[in-house]
Amino acid sequence: MKAKTHIILFVDDEPVSTEPLRLLLEAKGFECVSRTDMSSAMTFLRCNPVSVLVTDIMMPSGDQFPGMDSSETGFHFVYKVRDEFPDVSIVCLSVIGDQSKIQKLKKRGTLYLRKGETPLDTAARLIESKATGVISY
Amino acid sequence: MNEKDIEALKTENKRLRAEIGDLKTVTNQYLQNVAHQLTAPLGAIKWSIEALRDERVPLSRKSKLLSSIYSQATILVHLIKNFALMSNLEADHELGQFREKPEPIAVVNLAINLANDFQPQARDVEIKVVVDNDSFQRAFGAKRLSIEKNLVAQAMSNILENAVKYADPGSTITVSARADDKDVGITIENTGISISDEEKNQLFKRGYRGAAAMQKVAAGTGIGLYLASRVMAFHGGRIDVETRAKLSRFSLMFPRGRLQ
Repeated sequence: MKAKTHIILFVDDEPVSTEPLRLLLEAKGFECVSRTDMSSAMTFLRCNPVSVLVTDIMMPSGDQFPGMDSSETGFHFVYKVRDEFPDVSIVCLSVIGDQSKIQKLKKRGTLYLRKGETPLDTAARLIESKATGVISY
Repeated sequence: MNEKDIEALKTENKRLRAEIGDLKTVTNQYLQNVAHQLTAPLGAIKWSIEALRDERVPLSRKSKLLSSIYSQATILVHLIKNFALMSNLEADHELGQFREKPEPIAVVNLAINLANDFQPQARDVEIKVVVDNDSFQRAFGAKRLSIEKNLVAQAMSNILENAVKYADPGSTITVSARADDKDVGITIENTGISISDEEKNQLFKRGYRGAAAMQKVAAGTGIGLYLASRVMAFHGGRIDVETRAKLSRFSLMFPRGRLQ
């Protein structure tokens, strides 16, 4: 019941990499939506009540933000979402290993999960806790 | 040695240090890129296996996860082959494990096998890969092409992989044969991104990725087309690129002398 109302927005230019996580969260009752670039994700955020944003770092910026370095799009995206939608919880899901950049994200209250390292169930529980404030077992 | 010579040596020393610094940066970026390229599919495979084991995930959704594991594994094998080929080329080891004697190959079979390899990856994004059998019959008839099979397969895979990666969802990729008076070869056609004339000249440079390509898929090694063009050069052939709006056609062309 509780989880049905929460929308989780996934932004990754290779959605296949987040599919297992989406399936598990959907099984828990969340509504998962997938977008493949920053522009379409911003459009979705402006029109829908998103609880948690799960985003990659290296991804296309799309037509609304031309000329952005695609290896860093996620950073710009996180900062923009923080400013425009302060209530949306943000989880970064990426393979970048640059600690100084990760620290900057963390300082802005973003949870950073490294692809390939965080177990699926743990990632799902962490996102669930961001959305509902509780972790189910 | 006078002061002028010492000054010249110092300048040269400074230049070489800067060059080494640049090389280190390029190597670091390349290694980071390699790590990224390998970690992403491995991460997807790990999570897919965890989701398969999870009883909460409905059975009806699990066949897609199996298909995803297969396609991600195919991507990994392909990447690793490219990295191995790349390091062999860089080390100038006459291509090491990749070096073999040319053998007569039925090109249509090679095309079908490779197209099949990429079907799961293509299905993930609702793309069809079709092989135009009739065109192979017209271009090759009963003749075979004398080529180094693994090398050409890798070159063709690189083009096919790009075709799948950059094609519009729901579109069709066609693999066909073509022939003219001098050459014979394989064409891979897709619809996805526009390539400008200016970019066309850069496509085969090591590490180069076009603007539209980076806008569609952010991560990439930029070595696929470079390796494919090197492979074709070994065969005395070339890669022709034709584009029209979002349609791209890459043709691996071999001299007719290779027909047997």
